Amino acid sequence: MSFLSRLRRVPFWSWIWFLVGALYFILPLFATFEFSLTWDPAIPFKAYQRSFADNKFWETFIYSNVLAVATIIFSIVLIVPTAYWIRLRLPQARRIVEFITLMPFVVPAIILVFGLIRIYSTPFSIPFTDIVFMQPLTNFKAGTNILIVSGYMVLAMPYMYRSVDTGMRTVDIRTLTEAAQSLGANWFVIISRVILPNIRSALLSGALLTFAIVVGEVTLASFLGVNAFGPYLFLLGQHRAYEPAALSFFSFLLTWLAMGLIQLVSGGQGQAAGAH
Amino acid sequence: MSYLSLSNITKQFGDTVVVDDFSLDVEKGEFVSFLGPSGCGKTTTLRMVAGFEMPTAGRITLDGADITEKAPNQRNVGMIFQSYALFPNMTVAQNIGFGLGVRKEPKEMISQRVEEMISLINLENHANKYPYQLSGGQQQRVSLARALAIHPQVLLLDEPLSALDAKIRVSLRAEIRAIQKKLGITAIFVTHDQEEALSISDRIVVMNAGLMEQVGTPFEIYNFPQTQFVANFVGSLNTANAEVSDPVKGLLNVDGVQFITASDIKSRKKGDAIRVSVRPERFSFAFEEKKENVLDCTIENITFLGSVVRIQVKIGEAKFNMDTFNNPFLDLPKIGSKEQVTCSREAVLVLDE
Repeated sequence: MSFLSRLRRVPFWSWIWFLVGALYFILPLFATFEFSLTWDPAIPFKAYQRSFADNKFWETFIYSNVLAVATIIFSIVLIVPTAYWIRLRLPQARRIVEFITLMPFVVPAIILVFGLIRIYSTPFSIPFTDIVFMQPLTNFKAGTNILIVSGYMVLAMPYMYRSVDTGMRTVDIRTLTEAAQSLGANWFVIISRVILPNIRSALLSGALLTFAIVVGEVTLASFLGVNAFGPYLFLLGQHRAYEPAALSFFSFLLTWLAMGLIQLVSGGQGQAAGAH
Repeated sequence: MSYLSLSNITKQFGDTVVVDDFSLDVEKGEFVSFLGPSGCGKTTTLRMVAGFEMPTAGRITLDGADITEKAPNQRNVGMIFQSYALFPNMTVAQNIGFGLGVRKEPKEMISQRVEEMISLINLENHANKYPYQLSGGQQQRVSLARALAIHPQVLLLDEPLSALDAKIRVSLRAEIRAIQKKLGITAIFVTHDQEEALSISDRIVVMNAGLMEQVGTPFEIYNFPQTQFVANFVGSLNTANAEVSDPVKGLLNVDGVQFITASDIKSRKKGDAIRVSVRPERFSFAFEEKKENVLDCTIENITFLGSVVRIQVKIGEAKFNMDTFNNPFLDLPKIGSKEQVTCSREAVLVLDE
């Protein structure tokens, strides 16, 4: 059956709902793009030129990207072995872990950041002594970076954990692990050569969701006082008209690029994993 | 000392005893099958040999070395799974070479061994294919090659044919047996399919509810079952309630009909209630040849099973099945007709419960 004849078999109302849904998403985006071009009719992309010419944009954008990459790496290091061990050895702990991973949906980011500041803005001392073994994390830049990456890991946890867990569900983790063990593989070899390659599409999904969350995040970055892209965009939106529209559209393009990447990579894995 | 020895192995999950005081000696190059219904402990026993489960009690030795506490990746045991367990991200050649790569063998040696294994399983044109590009039978052959590539001391097969269709199952089991004999490798095969176990094994261990019921060659297991369970599980079996009439002469009363048995019932008393068993193929019509038991019967039903015709007869009040080979000129009696069937005294079994 050709693609066109398959399209014709889709019921009329399905088309209507598809178009309504598509318009709901596309119209605001188109409006934003259209607005971003209206600053100066003589130079249609003036808002983009101005935005990209601003050093502050590149500074905050690169900084947020670095934070996002760090969050992704540490999340993978934490969540992949956790999800793997729960599937393999501790299935009874799954409900508890799933509950914990849902906490960021229940506890707002503002509470999280106040909690972090409250705990980590005082020096760490040995109880009942005056011996301080660590200065407050909020007092130095590396400490603040540790705090913000930890906070982002919490915010991204529901997406990362679910992506990884779903990825592991699609391959028979237990049997693959046992097969690798019987062939002499240790845990490092099993995770790096058997598990990770077979859940790479799920990892990428989780990583890109994490990336999207971190790059646009405002609350944690504002309260921890870091120069991230989220607060920059927020400030820009309060004082300018056209640049925020241009940067919003630019962010959408980045997200689409990321989704395209997911399709590309997961398509490849679909072939490798086949019918499993 | 035997090559692989399981001594008094017990495995408990909480309060549930899954394997109970299991002892078995396997010789080098022997093919032993664990046969039993689901939940009988056969797979758990196999997994304890592989190292995936730790026995609650007992020892496992392999070639004189105690491997009870060893991790699975330290045992040099090849394992084949029902679901093939090929690594989806690797080609056939990469799957087969995985174990050798883990052992840090030289690259030339790995590629030579992979080639050797691929030709052993006759998949020369599939080396660069991914598992999803192969049929179930081909995937299982790759799994076999992968397990054999590392020169394992024991090959463990956990229901490797269960996921395959009937024809492939028969051909692959013959292939597995041929390769096992050719390489002289010691193998333990888990199955719930009696035909599979009977056709492939040097010895069969019949298991039930965590206990070993009987160990023997396929011939012994089928023809001389020691318990009611073994007789029932392996092959078809007629069973009926009986009463001992004469323990010395081996006479039994089955619903008013006298049977004579070769089983030793001297320890029983006259009037004791027992169960007798007769395999369907041990009956024949008395007009062909008369044996020690000649029994009047009524034909109740006839079922055509392809190579075999199953005739249900009523002897006294008890119903028995009788199997006879099919042939195009078979003169079958009519349903409801009165006939005589016969069987030898050895065919009438009195078994332990």
